[in-house]
Amino acid sequence: MNKEKITNLWKKKIVILDGATGTELQKKSMPAGVCPELWCLENPKILESIHASYAQAGAQIVYTCTFGANRFKLKQYGSQDKVEAINKNLARLARKACGPNTLIAGDIGPSGLFVEPFGDLPFEEAIEAFKEQARALIAGGCDLIVIETMIDIQEARAALIAVKELKNIFTIVSLTYEEDGRTLGGTDPLSALITLQSLGADAVGCNCSTGPEKMADIIASLKPYAKVPLIAKPNAGIPRLEGIKTVFDMEAKEFAAACRGLAAAGANMLGGCCGTTSEHIRLLSGFAAKIKPKPPRVKSLAALSSARKFLLLEENKPLIIVGERINPTGKKALQQELLEEKTSLIRQMALDQEKQGADLLDVNVGQPGIDEVKTIKKVTTLLSAVSPLPLVVDSSRVETIEAALRLYPGRMMINSISGEKEKLARLLPLAAKYGAMFILLPLTAGNIPQTAKKRQAVIQNIYSQSRKFGFTKDDFVVDGLVMAVASDAQAARETLATVRWCHDSFKCKTILGVSNVSFGMPGRPWLNATFLAMAHYCGLTMAIANPAAAELMNVKKAADALGAKDNAAKYFIRHFSAETAPAPPQSGQPQSVAEKIATAIKDGDTEKITGLIKEALSAGMDPFELVNKTMIPAIVSVGDLYEKKIYFLPQLMAAAQTMEKGMDYIEPLLKKNAAQSKGKIILATVQGDVHDIGKNIVGLLMKNYGYEVVDLGKDVSAQFIVNAALKEKPDIIGLSALMTTTMVNMKEVISLARDRGIKTDFLIGGAVVTQAYAQSIGAHYAADGVQAVKTADKLIKK
Amino acid sequence: MDGATLLKKIIISTPTAKIYRRLGFKKATSQLTPKTKNETEAHIEAAVSLISLRGSFLRLKTSDNDGQLIKFFSGVNFSSKKLSRFLRGCPEAVLLGATAGSEIMEAIKEKTAQGDLQAAVVYDATASEIADAALDWIMDYINQLIRREGKTLLPRRFSAGYADFDLSNQKTIYELLNLDKLGVRITEAYMLLPEKSVTAISGICG
Repeated sequence: MNKEKITNLWKKKIVILDGATGTELQKKSMPAGVCPELWCLENPKILESIHASYAQAGAQIVYTCTFGANRFKLKQYGSQDKVEAINKNLARLARKACGPNTLIAGDIGPSGLFVEPFGDLPFEEAIEAFKEQARALIAGGCDLIVIETMIDIQEARAALIAVKELKNIFTIVSLTYEEDGRTLGGTDPLSALITLQSLGADAVGCNCSTGPEKMADIIASLKPYAKVPLIAKPNAGIPRLEGIKTVFDMEAKEFAAACRGLAAAGANMLGGCCGTTSEHIRLLSGFAAKIKPKPPRVKSLAALSSARKFLLLEENKPLIIVGERINPTGKKALQQELLEEKTSLIRQMALDQEKQGADLLDVNVGQPGIDEVKTIKKVTTLLSAVSPLPLVVDSSRVETIEAALRLYPGRMMINSISGEKEKLARLLPLAAKYGAMFILLPLTAGNIPQTAKKRQAVIQNIYSQSRKFGFTKDDFVVDGLVMAVASDAQAARETLATVRWCHDSFKCKTILGVSNVSFGMPGRPWLNATFLAMAHYCGLTMAIANPAAAELMNVKKAADALGAKDNAAKYFIRHFSAETAPAPPQSGQPQSVAEKIATAIKDGDTEKITGLIKEALSAGMDPFELVNKTMIPAIVSVGDLYEKKIYFLPQLMAAAQTMEKGMDYIEPLLKKNAAQSKGKIILATVQGDVHDIGKNIVGLLMKNYGYEVVDLGKDVSAQFIVNAALKEKPDIIGLSALMTTTMVNMKEVISLARDRGIKTDFLIGGAVVTQAYAQSIGAHYAADGVQAVKTADKLIKK
Repeated sequence: MDGATLLKKIIISTPTAKIYRRLGFKKATSQLTPKTKNETEAHIEAAVSLISLRGSFLRLKTSDNDGQLIKFFSGVNFSSKKLSRFLRGCPEAVLLGATAGSEIMEAIKEKTAQGDLQAAVVYDATASEIADAALDWIMDYINQLIRREGKTLLPRRFSAGYADFDLSNQKTIYELLNLDKLGVRITEAYMLLPEKSVTAISGICG
């Protein structure tokens, strides 16, 4: 059966798929722990009866029972060398059971391993394994292939590439989404759709995990962007435990009724996953026959994706910024890093650009003296995990581009494809194979067209060539070619005219490498920003730029707002409101300097505190009074706010740090005034325990409240603590422990101390420590840092 | 029975709400200034970039559970009444482990040394919650794997050191999960290092 015939099926009506095989086999006595594929070959009649029941119930496509028949899964049963025979025989068995009028889909499930860049299984090894399985399924007579229950977009890609490299056969790819609407690998449905449909999947959708109602939301969210039919194969409800038994609650009638929502949302192929039976499929088939299918709404889609994010290139949306920093040209540190095969700078550049507002990351590793293919693979792997931003691969070498396109778990953009014949001939097929978008560079061999008119001719020529590979105007963005105004005063005008023509007449999207315009000129940020604003007005879609350039980014935001590309100027207002936010309103009279000091402590304003104290002292305030009447009451009120749950821990810490900074400044002056500490405290986390964050919090707060703190650290032996106590003669000994197993060491410390004649009070705390435990070992207890200070105050006053 | 499955790169969504809760944030009472919120978000973001989340799991077939001692076919035994009750009726158990890596712990140490405890407590809470979320992720992953077998994981998990399940069992779990291959060490007091490393046990039923 060829692809056209299957296409005709889904265009005419909703195609009915089969229901569950695994849960049906268990009902029919398949024991736990066996390899289902091997068991089915040993018990063919049982599997045949399940397949036949689905065909009789109305399923037009029945999946082979080969979900786990890849070399990795079969290895668990010592059958990794039987991939071909198992798949071929199970495909034939399905055909025999269903007859010639049912389509047989060769089922490929996950390998059970994680594929690079998210795991250890090399991408090419995954492709090879899936090829081995797909080859056998096709040889066994399958009409189509279904790649299903995938939780990792990269594994789904590997399987899809494997199938496509074997045969142009109709291929469905179906992922499994969790309750949060993402796969376990973190991919959202739309990113997956963009990646898979551009890579050549003939149908995309979801199966397993949820029931039909939740799945309808996913299908509805995908429909406006799907070029291909959508598939849904939900479970018979959400599986739940009844005692220790897994049950699926949704009866056939309820399931079929709920599937109406899936059809209404735009599903073109419907079936059932875990817990469904032939009765579920019979009722589903009955209602689906009466429903007119909703065809895909779009024929092309300008969109890019990573494993965790998508970017739609839509008209009337803010200008897209492609971060240009990951490029060694003119960056010595990056050049050195690439030579040393390191990636820490690239990682930082990616994170910084994301924070600064880049929507995409341009990645160029072109550097003499390195293996560019090896490097781009390494960098692609790194960035796939580090940044959710989709990538633009930027290279003059075809091999580098191909390596990145093959490995990247999303839909990439190529920077760039020009009119040079050889490049065109090599890059267009590559872009088509991997479904990439590309930047169309209107250059011909050794020739930069000077005028917009000449550029238009090259653009039209490249577009015409690309159409032979199925590309539409949604699949590329035209580079308007930015030349330096320093060498040609007309250069910017010609570029802008090209952008204008692309937007108004040719109706395609555009991109500019903005900063080239100012090359050789002073005041470059202003030229760049102004040029961006002018291009924005001409309809520019995206700019390759440094998102750290404040002038450029601010002008972009302003132009988005003024050009009605930032709905209700939302982003503009958010950005500039935060930047120019007025100081919080002060109630009543202006604050005195003492009040300002108290406010700085309460707000945790470490930057202002020293300046304010200096101001107070210059005004003649007594340092001792400042501490006792202003600073300590301020930190005490912070403690109260924390206890009342108005402040949370970071606020308490910020205030404490501010107090500490203020005290560090004022302390030398206090000594002159014979200021005294409230008392001395030794702090330690007991032996065996390495968790010391709680002890550190207590230490900081104690210092704030005027205690002298001797911190002995963590994992401290009883002997060491006791020796320190004998030497320091503290007023209180504070001990912390996080675990029940180390908490017992507190008792040892106290016993040893008492044996050595130390009568000092012990104050203990930690996640597992309780008041009762403290009492049992003769210690005092505090639940948190603020309570520790209060308890210490009481003990000192005793 | 095969060895443990190592997951060398776990990517999860940041459990921001849980991190805030761990830091003592209460929706009904806490009052955050924009400054504190921005600083906290920035610290969470910085912590996330320092976390390298890895994990491991191992399925073990139960041979006997007499309410006191759970025996597995692999020869491993766990003695605990509470754990026995927890795993009652489960034909299999699964051991789970996850670590947030050492880089985040170094950063917490550094921030503490610099006197920036505000950052340190946020880093600490982020690492704790993310390590815990990694165990949730591994459980979801196992559920995906076993759903086709008509099986489900128990929704909860049990750890060494809880109730009468002695912490010394951490050593056995550590070894079975090959946590050394993920850069995790175990101390004589059965503490896992780096600190933000966790293990647990759950049951497979159905």
